[in-house]
Amino acid sequence: MQKMTKETAKTEKATVYEVGFHVVPTVSPENLPKEVDAIKAILGSTGATVISEEFPKLRNLAYTMIKPIGPVRHRFDSAYFGWIKFEGPKESASEVDKALKGSDKVIRHIVIKTARENTIYGPKILGDEKREAGKEEEAKAEKKAPATQEELDKSIDKLVS
Amino acid sequence: MSKQCFFKQHNIQHIDYKDTDILKRFLNPHARILSRKRTSVSSTNQRKLAEAVKRARFMGLLPYIAR
Repeated sequence: MQKMTKETAKTEKATVYEVGFHVVPTVSPENLPKEVDAIKAILGSTGATVISEEFPKLRNLAYTMIKPIGPVRHRFDSAYFGWIKFEGPKESASEVDKALKGSDKVIRHIVIKTARENTIYGPKILGDEKREAGKEEEAKAEKKAPATQEELDKSIDKLVS
Repeated sequence: MSKQCFFKQHNIQHIDYKDTDILKRFLNPHARILSRKRTSVSSTNQRKLAEAVKRARFMGLLPYIAR
């Protein structure tokens, strides 16, 4: 029985996927929701449920990507990057993969297994570190007690003589 | 005293390829992945880190080479 529960837990964990994609920058911002809805429709048709998502945002790519559309090889230096986390059967992942491979509007995509919870820690950790650095600086400033008038006079006298 | 694994310190279970702010810490100026000797990351997490960096490179979020 224990084995069964372990196995079911494993399969439940394994069925959380994420699809990340770059939409071509030539798509107008008004038409972007259509592209996202198309991907969601594929997920819906395969019985997958969306857990979380990020709407595509225009960002510069780290290197130039080439995408052949028809007979022409297009070069892209920027793209709308977005992702959708979903839960569903294996087929849903493979179906999305197939659909995006054939799409002319998606430059590149990736389908991975992931965890249900939020997996982006960067902003939180960087924020915490900045706050700690600020506190340390404050503590250092406090440690340096302000010099009294007499001490200042003495040091000035020393410098003059 | 030996330094602890960054991911264990911050209780990070899953290393995400989209988390480029964190991934950049483990790259050298040429954008190559730093060795375990330098990162002090546990073996398990170093493997996950390498995979995340490679996914980020594929998706154009990180460069394959820099400078």
